[in-house]
Amino acid sequence: MLAILNKELKSYFASATGYIFMSFFLLISGIFFSLTNLFGRSPLYNDVLSSITFIFLFVVPMITMRLISEETKQKTDQLLLTSPIKVSDIVLGKYFAALGLFLATLGVTIIFPIILSFFGEISTGEILGGYIGFFLLGASFISVGIFISSLTDNQVIAAVVTVVTLLIMWIMDGIIMGMPKDRTSSMVFIGILVIAITALFYFSTRNIYMSIAISVIGAIGMIIVFLINPGLYDGIILRILGWFSLLKRHENFSMGIFDVNAVVYFITFSFAFIFLTIQTIEKRRWS
Amino acid sequence: MNVGGKNLIEINNLTKNYGQYKAVDNVNFTVKKGEILGFLGPNGAGKSTTMNIITGYISATEGTVKVDGFDVLEQPGEVKKRIGYLPELPPLYMDMTVGEYLKFVCNIKKVASSSQKDTLDKVMNAVKISDMKSRLIKNLSKGYKQRVGLAQAMIGDPEVLILDEPTVGLDPKQIIEIRNVIKNLGKKHTIILSSHILSEVSAVCDRVLIINKGKVVASDTPENLSKRLSQSNRMVLRAKGPKQEILKIIKGIENIKMAEIQGVREPETVDILVEGSEDADIREALFYTLVRADYPILMMKSMDLTLEEIFLQVTNAKEENGHASNIK
Repeated sequence: MLAILNKELKSYFASATGYIFMSFFLLISGIFFSLTNLFGRSPLYNDVLSSITFIFLFVVPMITMRLISEETKQKTDQLLLTSPIKVSDIVLGKYFAALGLFLATLGVTIIFPIILSFFGEISTGEILGGYIGFFLLGASFISVGIFISSLTDNQVIAAVVTVVTLLIMWIMDGIIMGMPKDRTSSMVFIGILVIAITALFYFSTRNIYMSIAISVIGAIGMIIVFLINPGLYDGIILRILGWFSLLKRHENFSMGIFDVNAVVYFITFSFAFIFLTIQTIEKRRWS
Repeated sequence: MNVGGKNLIEINNLTKNYGQYKAVDNVNFTVKKGEILGFLGPNGAGKSTTMNIITGYISATEGTVKVDGFDVLEQPGEVKKRIGYLPELPPLYMDMTVGEYLKFVCNIKKVASSSQKDTLDKVMNAVKISDMKSRLIKNLSKGYKQRVGLAQAMIGDPEVLILDEPTVGLDPKQIIEIRNVIKNLGKKHTIILSSHILSEVSAVCDRVLIINKGKVVASDTPENLSKRLSQSNRMVLRAKGPKQEILKIIKGIENIKMAEIQGVREPETVDILVEGSEDADIREALFYTLVRADYPILMMKSMDLTLEEIFLQVTNAKEENGHASNIK
């Protein structure tokens, strides 16, 4: 894993990617710091962190788009997958390399609260909490990016899909608000979900009997739940979509609250996508 | 060479389907320790697919692959430790230098850091790329990239080397050099290499496996294969004189199965393709007959069977006998 991590970190700085990422990130955060804290005469540094979260939309695809797609395209995955290292080590190595670059960049921004401390008292705990939340949010987005990179061998497609996916997660709270809460539409939603899962299964395995079995099991499950506890359906769309609402969970951090639930959520979220990435690569060998 | 030891690689009923298409169809073979096995077949015959399955890069639809007793599905780590693989396209990172790249390969192949320097020196000497150590891979020529790929496969001193068309894209001098490298490696390693060039396989390999359309159609030593080649009695000759006249005379000679005009390459001469019946040497008869007729022979050379023709021969023989010769 260390070998992969090392290689990816070097490769960020062998190309312009690492430099562009760092300078873009530092430029934007510097502008917001100057505007909010220096010119705005505000002592609240966490406001800066929460207002610059939008740059993830641009910088995450930048560092994740080629992580796996490029290996597939250049056929260098043949070297990695035929050497005695595990797929999980390959993916984790790449993930931690992207996290490392992100963390290092974030480390540079510590200079901002230090500047702030010259002008008065700052709450170290609050800022530390804000940083942890900000880092975890970024780590979650990076895991989504690396997953999308494993789905295609084209960096540009990976980048575009990542931006769109992150954007949808971005406006998730708005989407949730527009969704109906009643029982009928919830059941329709679950029905569509079952069909989608069946279709996905069918297109990846071409096994018609198993696909039918899955949809039948899904339908029976829906009916059983409806007979036993129909109340479960109320507002289920909101709850399911809510799983992908990362920003909402980040709100507490920017208010200076260290939210353990959110920490667990972000870590679980990241590992879920890392797991999916590993499965995607493993599965590709079977098709 | 230590041929004749235990079976190091065992392939049983290997099948790989891509949808309806069978890329590899029920392939069986074994490779003994110390043997150099050549895969011979046209493009798309299933050579690369078979190699990709043995190395664990892709999985088989059916069948088993065992290397040194370990199943590639059940203990992939143990199998991968024992194999060095040079794929069709060398898996190189273009933005690394040769030294960095080989060091990275050392790391992922878990070569102890204390012996990494020795390993690097050894493999770079073996393929003669020591001068290129600090060059960026993207700036190397195709031949050198191929060598770096070969060096990469040798790292970690694996028992088995699997080389997919190792000499493709090299110039003739480099081809000879790489062949010698492979021959040298064969003293210590078990090697499977693929090629679509017959002479290459026969120059290097102890045994040849001919693959066509995903099936093993023949498995033989290069000597036996060339014997099969010399049985064919086809030659092209160029004689001076009127076309039709010469053709008529040649057709009149005993043991001539077929003769046809190939065209005129030099003025006042004719090129004729002649095939004699098997087990008969028609060269002398051709020479004396044409001399007597006062039509001098300016050139006469035997025609090598092309790979396609060997396939036809082998597959035809298979149909006639009901089974391929010597399939293990």
